[in-house]
Amino acid sequence: MAPAQAGAAAGTGSLAWLYNGSTPGETLVARYGEPVFIRRFNDLPTSDVVEMPIGYPAITTHLHNAHTASESDGYPMDFAIPGQFWDHHYAMMYARNDPREALASLWYHDHMIDFTATNVYAGLSGMAIFYDHIDTGNENDRHRRALRLPGNMRFGGKPGYANGYDISLILHDVRFNAQGNPAYNVFDIDGHLGDLITVNRKVMPFLHVERRKYRFRIYDGGPSRFYELGLGDESPFYIITNDGNLLEEPVEATSIVLGPANRQDIIIDFSRYRPGQSVEMLNIMEQINGQGPTGRRLEGPERMPVMQFRVMDGNVEDNSRIPDFLRKLPPVSLDEVVAEREWVFDHDMGLWTVNGSFMDPTVVSAAPKQGTAEIWHFRNAGSSWAHPCHVHFEEFQVLEWNGKKPTGILRSRKDVATLGPNDHVKVFYRFDDFVGRYVIHCHNNVHEDNAMMLRWDLTPG
Amino acid sequence: MSLPVAAITAVAGARSSMGNPAFKACPRAKGGPHAERFPQVIVQDQHNRKAWFYEELINDKLVLISFTSVKGENHYPILGNLVKVQEMLQDRLGKDVHMYTITTRPHFDTPDKLKQLADSHGAKWQFWTGDENDIREILTAFSVRGSLYGLIWIGNEKTGRWLCKVSRQQPLYIAEAVARLSIGKHYRPFLVDMHSV
Repeated sequence: MAPAQAGAAAGTGSLAWLYNGSTPGETLVARYGEPVFIRRFNDLPTSDVVEMPIGYPAITTHLHNAHTASESDGYPMDFAIPGQFWDHHYAMMYARNDPREALASLWYHDHMIDFTATNVYAGLSGMAIFYDHIDTGNENDRHRRALRLPGNMRFGGKPGYANGYDISLILHDVRFNAQGNPAYNVFDIDGHLGDLITVNRKVMPFLHVERRKYRFRIYDGGPSRFYELGLGDESPFYIITNDGNLLEEPVEATSIVLGPANRQDIIIDFSRYRPGQSVEMLNIMEQINGQGPTGRRLEGPERMPVMQFRVMDGNVEDNSRIPDFLRKLPPVSLDEVVAEREWVFDHDMGLWTVNGSFMDPTVVSAAPKQGTAEIWHFRNAGSSWAHPCHVHFEEFQVLEWNGKKPTGILRSRKDVATLGPNDHVKVFYRFDDFVGRYVIHCHNNVHEDNAMMLRWDLTPG
Repeated sequence: MSLPVAAITAVAGARSSMGNPAFKACPRAKGGPHAERFPQVIVQDQHNRKAWFYEELINDKLVLISFTSVKGENHYPILGNLVKVQEMLQDRLGKDVHMYTITTRPHFDTPDKLKQLADSHGAKWQFWTGDENDIREILTAFSVRGSLYGLIWIGNEKTGRWLCKVSRQQPLYIAEAVARLSIGKHYRPFLVDMHSV
């Protein structure tokens, strides 16, 4: 994988930083039990000659949120400058070797210290899919335990047509300048909002779909926009993951809410539409600055188009299922808890802070021990902004969100707690398998680059 | 006469934004990568020297810009830490690296008062004040609100790369940001190697 710069003539495309010639980068498809090695070369030009007006051409790639040893995790200081490479080993092991800890929909993105928002905005993001013995990707799988979710992913089909039935969609909102290149105000540290939503880096694309079920893995690639996504006809679909991790049971819904770095997989059944019909995916979350949503829903023509599905003619085979039961959650046992910690996200004198502090790679703000469990509290001290709080390496389960027990899709394993104004979330963590340094940060990447990040270390038990 | 491409773009940009009430009518600087982000105003330092803010202080330069005031320094001191940065920059200061502190209280902070403030800390860099509205325009360009502001902007306007650090961050990391944004013989990706392996 080699990030490099590409340009296109005016009117035919945008300047971008690419992985192996594309943005989003090639989807990493991996299976539990089959370790992956990736050498990422930095082929970007040096900062004195780089054409992209934003970002910084040093890279460190985080596979969000794989259970990965620290040196392969994309730690913000583990960057490669132009001409260098960095090796990543993805063990493809379940946390604690427990299949209930499987991840399904992940993404990889740049995590360069001080430049994450702009480097990702410049193009350095891509999707990753982990399969295992129940979520196999094969909807015709004859094995008794196979979930047979819509799958049969292929590569290399015609543009505008689906490659199989397991489709990844990453959303980035972008502001374009008159030349068609991404525009960005680096001096606005509240966050960045684009006026156009891109899906897999295309503005308002369409996808031809067959009259059958599809699994869509939907990612909020940031940097700062929150979404509530639904279909134009407000028809229902099934949510099967939260932050890319299978739920115990599918949840029927007419919209999904995503903050930066949240992922949800949904199954839409297009058999209810007539051939030739089209249906749009729309965003109804109002947001007027980078700080977070206003709380109002967009209505009628205000709703922002995201993409369009065009239903094709013909009877098709659909052996996929929406099972009643997906994947069991690991048990939460509070008697394993050895420590309780609080992380307060706030704003003070222009600084975005966590626990009143700011990113300093030499300061270890927490040091949980291998083989233990802890309760962490994420608190948003602000009353007018949102902070999608992300912790690397382990997934948490929500114990309480503003004092209430989780229901619906919140009964899940997650890695981004999207904190609304004054939210308080109490979660359960287990820490195992690797030791080393990891980070907790706000995944509004603009806040993260302005120091809303702390280092924590997993230490030997 | 043919205008250079950059000038034509600048004129077109000014025209298109004038109709939009969200944009201020304040004239903008021209030329460098972020010229249009900054107001075209004159500022004055603690030695009573005057300068065009963007064209003379930022364009084509590597700069560190911090924000405080005589009063604010009592409540949230940053200059002591920045003096340590000054020491780390050694003889680059004033040559290819420029440190500036802009007052957040231009109405109160005269050049004389800023001179006292700088001298009392041993700060050899420039402290800028000016017409209140002009300074407000500059503060707005850096998203500085209120009189206490804890971030220092570090930018290389030769390459257009900017980042900000916390003014009270360990001075080493502020100096490291300068080294990382430098080009040519002063470029260093880091001062202390923090890589995992």
